[in-house]
Amino acid sequence: MAQNVNPSSPSQLTPEKVNGNSGQPPLDNHAVTKRLHKELMELMMRGEKGISAFPEGENLFKWVGTICGADGTVFEGFEYKLSIQFPHAYPYSPPVIKFTSQCYHPNIDLSGNICLDILREKWSPLYDVSTVLLSLQSLLGEPNNASPLNPQAAAMWKDPSAYRSYLLSNYSQFYKK
Amino acid sequence: MKVTIKSWNGVATWRWLANDDTCGICRLAFDGCCPDCRIPGDECPLVWGQCSHCFHIHCIMKWLNSQQVSQQCPMCRQEWKFRE
Amino acid sequence: MDSPGEDEIWADMAVIFPVFNDAPWSEPAPAVDPALWESFVRALAKHDMCELLEDIMVAKISEHLLEVAEEFWARVTDQTVLGFDRFKQAVQGLDRDSANMLQYVRRIEDMRRMAGVTRKIYGIDDWSVLLKYLIRATLHSQLPVPKELSAIGDFYALSFKVFYHQEKSSREFNESGEEYHCNGCVELAEDCKCDQIIASFHFVNRILIKLELLERLAGDVLTSLMHKQIESHVQDTCESCYTMCFIEPLEKWLNSVVVGWLNHLYSTAPECPETQSKLITFKRKLNHLLYETYTMSRIDQLFNIIIEYPESSPAITDLKLCLKKTHLRPVLVEKLKATLGKRLLHPGVNTPDIITAYISSIKALRDLDPTGIILETCTNPVRQYLRGREDTMRCVVMSLTEEGPGDLADELAYGDESNQVETNWEEWLPDPIDASDTKEDKERQSWDIISMLVNVYGSKEVFVHEYRNLLADRLLTQYSYNTEKETRYLKLLKLRFDDSQLHYCEVMLRDVFDSKRLNTHLHAEPNFGLNQQELEVTCMILSAQFWPVFKEEKLELPEKIKKHLEIYTKAYEAIKGNRTLCWKPHLGSVNIELELKGRTANYTVTPTHAAIIWHFQEKDQWTIDELSGVLHVPPTVLRRRIGYWQTQGLLKEVATDTFLLVEDSAARTAKNVAASDAMMCEDDEAESIMASAQDQREEELQVFWTYIFGMLKNLESLPLDRIHMMLKMFASQGPSAVECSLQQLKQFLDAKVRDHKLLFSGGFYRLPK
Repeated sequence: MAQNVNPSSPSQLTPEKVNGNSGQPPLDNHAVTKRLHKELMELMMRGEKGISAFPEGENLFKWVGTICGADGTVFEGFEYKLSIQFPHAYPYSPPVIKFTSQCYHPNIDLSGNICLDILREKWSPLYDVSTVLLSLQSLLGEPNNASPLNPQAAAMWKDPSAYRSYLLSNYSQFYKK
Repeated sequence: MKVTIKSWNGVATWRWLANDDTCGICRLAFDGCCPDCRIPGDECPLVWGQCSHCFHIHCIMKWLNSQQVSQQCPMCRQEWKFRE
Repeated sequence: MDSPGEDEIWADMAVIFPVFNDAPWSEPAPAVDPALWESFVRALAKHDMCELLEDIMVAKISEHLLEVAEEFWARVTDQTVLGFDRFKQAVQGLDRDSANMLQYVRRIEDMRRMAGVTRKIYGIDDWSVLLKYLIRATLHSQLPVPKELSAIGDFYALSFKVFYHQEKSSREFNESGEEYHCNGCVELAEDCKCDQIIASFHFVNRILIKLELLERLAGDVLTSLMHKQIESHVQDTCESCYTMCFIEPLEKWLNSVVVGWLNHLYSTAPECPETQSKLITFKRKLNHLLYETYTMSRIDQLFNIIIEYPESSPAITDLKLCLKKTHLRPVLVEKLKATLGKRLLHPGVNTPDIITAYISSIKALRDLDPTGIILETCTNPVRQYLRGREDTMRCVVMSLTEEGPGDLADELAYGDESNQVETNWEEWLPDPIDASDTKEDKERQSWDIISMLVNVYGSKEVFVHEYRNLLADRLLTQYSYNTEKETRYLKLLKLRFDDSQLHYCEVMLRDVFDSKRLNTHLHAEPNFGLNQQELEVTCMILSAQFWPVFKEEKLELPEKIKKHLEIYTKAYEAIKGNRTLCWKPHLGSVNIELELKGRTANYTVTPTHAAIIWHFQEKDQWTIDELSGVLHVPPTVLRRRIGYWQTQGLLKEVATDTFLLVEDSAARTAKNVAASDAMMCEDDEAESIMASAQDQREEELQVFWTYIFGMLKNLESLPLDRIHMMLKMFASQGPSAVECSLQQLKQFLDAKVRDHKLLFSGGFYRLPK
């Protein structure tokens, strides 16, 4: 019997497999995978414009996300990739999100780390991938310049046309239009 | 003719009297159960906070237990107090 | 004494060999003075004429044999004499002729010995062997067409019959009327010719064996004669009896009767050295013939054997052994396939019968061929056919319960274990030659009955989905709180299916169980006032998330009933804080009593039926539209429900769409007025109250597309198999998961490529910019 089990059936997402890199107790994994499946389905069904995400491989806990700069902002036409790692305590703990494309932005450092309260102390289990991605999309257009991770970008923010031409000349690989 | 109904064996579905269909925390239906339970209803009840928001009891308990500093409603961030 | 000259030699030769001067062969050779003979031979040797004499002898014998052969065949084919005697007389003649020739052959042999001649003629240095050789050659050169040789068949058939009869009964006489006939020779008892026949038989055989002609003249006849005997014996003893093993009795019979007769046949000339080896060859041939005949007869009856399995398992055991000894496996597969098609796969056979036969086939064929290949090959068309029938799944699931054909509960528990038995590598055998390499065959490891049934549909998911629908149907239409049996089946199913798939069914059964307890509890509590109600209300309370989607059907209940249900709802709300009930008014079962003129009748019906008849209290004539107005039930549905009351003779369509209550029992015209007081209404129970699964298929393919779009948006480009795997992992969730094969997915994606929704290059799919 064991060999005949469909390898992709949900019961095969055994804790050992998905846990892999962490030593956390696996007791919650079933609940977490259930929730992640559901989120994925909602995200797919809603087909929100400008944001998207999908599991990277067989591991449901590691996704790749895509956000586009909103129209009317300096990031219009730019598209960025992110890595999203869900902890085993999700949704009681926030996902760990980093930009994998270099995003020149006051609240994003050069290795892609993000400074956003809802990903830290303001996290709520009611948030999900799409609310987080939407928040990140609006963060692009409305940075919090009070506590910048990239002071150079924060300084440049005051002059939108200079900022945009800086982006276009240095980061054109992310420009998709 | 006179019709006498001796017994009426009906069929009904039950539902929670909540103002939402799904639990915001686990995203599953209130009328189903939280991801840790197998049987809905008595074994996986809903609880209401004084802020009038409700969740599967198991979901909100897990959230509250994970919060060391303050016990807030995940919905409105008011301090969570169970409605009596 | 001087040796004679050449002239004298010729003169002596004429005296010693009168046949050289055309004297008839039938006259005995004249006696020769030994002194004359000696000088003759010496002269021959001196003049080097020994070989010449031999040559003349060969020529003369050959010449004579032409006549002998002609005469022999003329006798054999002479239609004026009975077959048996004809052959006997021919052989007698041949014996005489050969004896005559043998006298001269002896003289030649003597001459050779005296003169020391050693040359070989036709490679033979023994003249008596040479004579037999010439006889055989000449006879064969004139062999008539086979149909003129019936005399040989007649001869052996009769002698076998006599022998068989003697062996069996040592002369019993047939008691037909007053005249007693011998069973062997069929003569009147007092004229029995059996002994003569046996004597002739021995006589003829002795000659034929002596001349080494038996196999050549009679070999084919004997083989086909014995084949016929074997065939009729197999048919007489084994036909339509599948409950016994026959191989041993058949072998015994062959040995005692057929081989016994052969022994008898050869025993007439035991001195012949090759007899033993000939006998062994013959026996081997006959054994093979026996197996082949028996196997063919079993193959012809295989369908019936399968149907009667396991009573017929001795026949299967025999067949299994026979297949090893013959090469009839492909014949079996072809014939069985054809028979299954002819007997099962047409509209005249109803689905439960096909499934019963299919289950029998699985049981019987896995006994016959443990590798499962015959089963796989022969029943594949059955599975394909069943797939096309609408009620197949229903019947398969039914067959898992006692309602269906055969109780399969044991199988549920049995199959899986048997699959796990590790075979000993030392007992490994390669697949038989007819095993193909296709994927389906590789997966045939799991061919226990449940898997085979599930395989009709190709996936466990579809099966479980259908099982859930049927379970819901059964629980709600039978309206029985007795879930013990269902719980037992569910437990068994859990042995074979993923727990997560069956979890929903578990909750459903749990709902029914809890409802029963809650009903008792609510009725026992006086504060709720349920026990004071005019009619007893109970309710099956379902967890909507776990039940299949119901077909929506409206029904406006009479005011009085609605009030009663409301009181029940209040009681429920009181006991289960923060929860309430949503009634499905059309579901359930209602027990009503009708007080009619001079009698009362009890019915158990659906709420819709009850509501219909309820309104006939107010007035006894309604049109469909009026009823539809008060009940909120569409006229088409209503008409069907009214049909039930028509068959009960209570309603009558007095004008189109207008129905009248018929209270007077004398006026009732229904055929089935058997006055059973409590009747269960069954008009539409065959139709499911669940929404069809197929309605949802299209929608689900659309869901797949959103997933495919999502993964390509984020992961840029992916090959087909990875998309397939991702879909399986992430998009196939829940109890009604969609199955999509790699092939189907490819078609789907290629269609999207044609619509320019996707790009395809280098084996990768990607989204267009």
